[in-house]
Amino acid sequence: MSTLLTSDQGPAAGAAGGTARTGRPKGRTGTRGSLRVAALYLLPAVALIAIYLAYPVVYSIGRSLFDRSGATFVGLHNYAELFTDPRTQVALRNNVIWVLVAPALVTGLGLIFAVLTEKIRWATAFRLVLFMPMAISLFASGIIFRLVYQEDPSLGLANAAAVTVHDAFLEPSKYPGARARDARALVADHGNLTTTANYGRGDVVRLPLVGLSPQKLPRQAAPAQDLRPDPRDLRGVVWLDVAAGGGPPGTLGGGKRGMPGVTVQALRDGHVTATTTTGDDGSFAFPDLSPGTYTIRLPASNFAQPFRGLTWLGPALVTPVIISAWVWITTGFAMTFIGAGLSAIPRDALEAARVDGATEWQVFRRVTVPLLSPVLLVVFVTLVINVLKVFELVFVIAPGSAQADANVLALQLWQVAFGAGGGDQAMGSALAVVLFLLVVPAMLFNIRRFRRERR
Amino acid sequence: MSSVVLTGLGKVYGDGTRAVTDLNLEIRDGEFLVLVGPSGCGKTTALRMIAGLEEVSEGTIEIGDRVVNEVPSRDRDVAMVFQSYALYPHLNVFDNIAFGLSLRKLPKKEIERRVREVAGILELQDHLRRKPRHLSGGQRQRVAMGRAIVREPQAFLMDEPLSNLDAKLRVQMRAQIARIQRDLGVTTVYVTHDQTEAMTLGDRVAVLKRGILQQVGPPQELYDRPVNLFVAGFIGSPGMNVLGATLEVGDDERYRVRFCSQSLDLPDSVLRERPALRRYAGRPVVLGIRPEDMEDAEIVGAEQGATLRSSAELVEAMGSDVLVHFPVDTKPVTTDGVRELVSDGGVVDPGPLGAAGGTVLVGRFSPRTRVFEGQSIEVRVDTARLHFFDPETGSSIWHE
Repeated sequence: MSTLLTSDQGPAAGAAGGTARTGRPKGRTGTRGSLRVAALYLLPAVALIAIYLAYPVVYSIGRSLFDRSGATFVGLHNYAELFTDPRTQVALRNNVIWVLVAPALVTGLGLIFAVLTEKIRWATAFRLVLFMPMAISLFASGIIFRLVYQEDPSLGLANAAAVTVHDAFLEPSKYPGARARDARALVADHGNLTTTANYGRGDVVRLPLVGLSPQKLPRQAAPAQDLRPDPRDLRGVVWLDVAAGGGPPGTLGGGKRGMPGVTVQALRDGHVTATTTTGDDGSFAFPDLSPGTYTIRLPASNFAQPFRGLTWLGPALVTPVIISAWVWITTGFAMTFIGAGLSAIPRDALEAARVDGATEWQVFRRVTVPLLSPVLLVVFVTLVINVLKVFELVFVIAPGSAQADANVLALQLWQVAFGAGGGDQAMGSALAVVLFLLVVPAMLFNIRRFRRERR
Repeated sequence: MSSVVLTGLGKVYGDGTRAVTDLNLEIRDGEFLVLVGPSGCGKTTALRMIAGLEEVSEGTIEIGDRVVNEVPSRDRDVAMVFQSYALYPHLNVFDNIAFGLSLRKLPKKEIERRVREVAGILELQDHLRRKPRHLSGGQRQRVAMGRAIVREPQAFLMDEPLSNLDAKLRVQMRAQIARIQRDLGVTTVYVTHDQTEAMTLGDRVAVLKRGILQQVGPPQELYDRPVNLFVAGFIGSPGMNVLGATLEVGDDERYRVRFCSQSLDLPDSVLRERPALRRYAGRPVVLGIRPEDMEDAEIVGAEQGATLRSSAELVEAMGSDVLVHFPVDTKPVTTDGVRELVSDGGVVDPGPLGAAGGTVLVGRFSPRTRVFEGQSIEVRVDTARLHFFDPETGSSIWHE
């Protein structure tokens, strides 16, 4: 626990962590013995606390009451401005999301892993792996996740996985980006290409497409040939109207190749009545059409752009993404703590519950969890404190464009006080005080618990 | 309520340690059976196998007419009282007792009625809203009992339920357990290392040693007719005195046991009861004398051939009787098998321990005795109640 409590996460962390330390020496000085000796022993601790804790806290509070230059006393003006600043409001909102989601998620996962690793062989190895992220610096973890969530599937692991899974279930389109040579004869509508002319049996439909490099054609694509009409069916050909040999646009020949595997639909009164697929030379035919007139449609699925994954680091997903990184890092901590609590539960009580007729789930729900609840609470509150101070991950993972959307109080504080275009120490101090006040209740709660346990 | 039958039951732990070997026991419907033995004898393991908390390595367990080897604990319908009581620390007394019933989704009113009834039996009515940590040891023990009783199970399993209580409370609770079991008539398997509990509680007592059943029978039978030195030593307190001796036949065809300078004549009743003893004529035997079969000759009168002479080394006045320690000259019992049996059983070691280089015997004398330490004494022995064991095997000498 001490690593988490005292690790310096953001400028306010020192102040918040300090309250835990001052709690201990209080009330410990005995009345016996010489006061002078007692003072001597206390001196180093008092000096350190005064210099590194008390003074900065008092100074920060004082500084927040002056203006940017530090010359004029402005009272609570900084606080008023702080709460009307839209950036701070976003930061506050994100902090609320963090506090609501992250600690509960991590406590839950920690509980699950603690229970599971208790029941398996090689438990120590599993625990070690789960705990490992705690040993990595937050900045390094942030960089790892920045890479994981890169948008380009060839760079980012998350999107590479997403694309692989997506394409395994939904086959990617064959000719992304292809369009009609003549946009008036073949009209694009929601990605579908539909003929304006009507056709019936005995007609030949010629559909030249462009917008695709000939190299992208599948290997089996054969040179397209013009077809003779046959009164028994409606037939046609789809070809890529681009060729090295040239030839006038919209005509066949000159080595132009057909586009195999294109889905073709025959529509009557706007309803699909028949569907077929082009052959290697791009030809297709509807042999069993009833007499009448049809329009021919090449549905959008032929030309859809390939799935490229999600924009993880965009405004919408950036906060969940950073939370996921934090979960990855912190779950090991929660698991270790809860695991320790778990091993302290009397085995007998669990066995008694089993003999009393409880299923494993009921034992867990009705005995294990209630007995663990003090530990769960301490873990949860400790995580809340940590979440309030989260800084590095947001700073590293959120790209500059999304940083405003991922903003949290500690980051906002840093940006205002030290960041580009900032340098407003007064506002920074005000933010630090606000953050400090948010952490205090959770801190006090934990300290009181520790005290009660020690008694 | 139903019988519990163990057939060829065995337990081998993952590391190869064998805890129980070929245990065969039939616990009849409504019977109170006590499993007794020194710590590490496998009695708790056997109980936990019946409860379903340990996997069965060999053999079968039947509860009712159902083999339950593969039945999980929760479906065996047995109730267990743990040595540590194993109360649920986060639940109050009422909820502790009601836990098993609420798992069975009984109606609230029914639960309330049954818990209150059981709390009445155990005098816990005033503590129903308290948490276990605010209860005394005796109260916790009663809550643990209540949790078992309220479920009206097929069998009670009790694992040293009284060993965490002080001596006085233990006697009280012992009586209460006996009464409750008799009233409810629930089949009970009770594990203890305390032979007093075993003798007072059990309809029958099963003595275990190193995972092997030695003898099972009514308490008095175990006391009167132990099958070997181990049972003889384990049952009875203080333990039986054991000494190496030789069986002699005099010119008058009378049998007597001799240990060095002293000897005791065997009455005919002993030979009638133990015909196999004749085969040991002229050979060494292990002689067992219970402390309560000895008395100060000053009180009951000395008799030729039934009296030992010694001097009192230590006198312990217990109020109701006086324990007198006195040495006699004997050859020590040296056979390994016998030594092991004897030391496991906790009887007085027959080796050369006494100040006089012999064995120290303990006699339980009447409180009217005037014996004091250092005084030379005459001890009258009830020779009809002597015990004899084979020095090689440690088995009792009876018929064969």
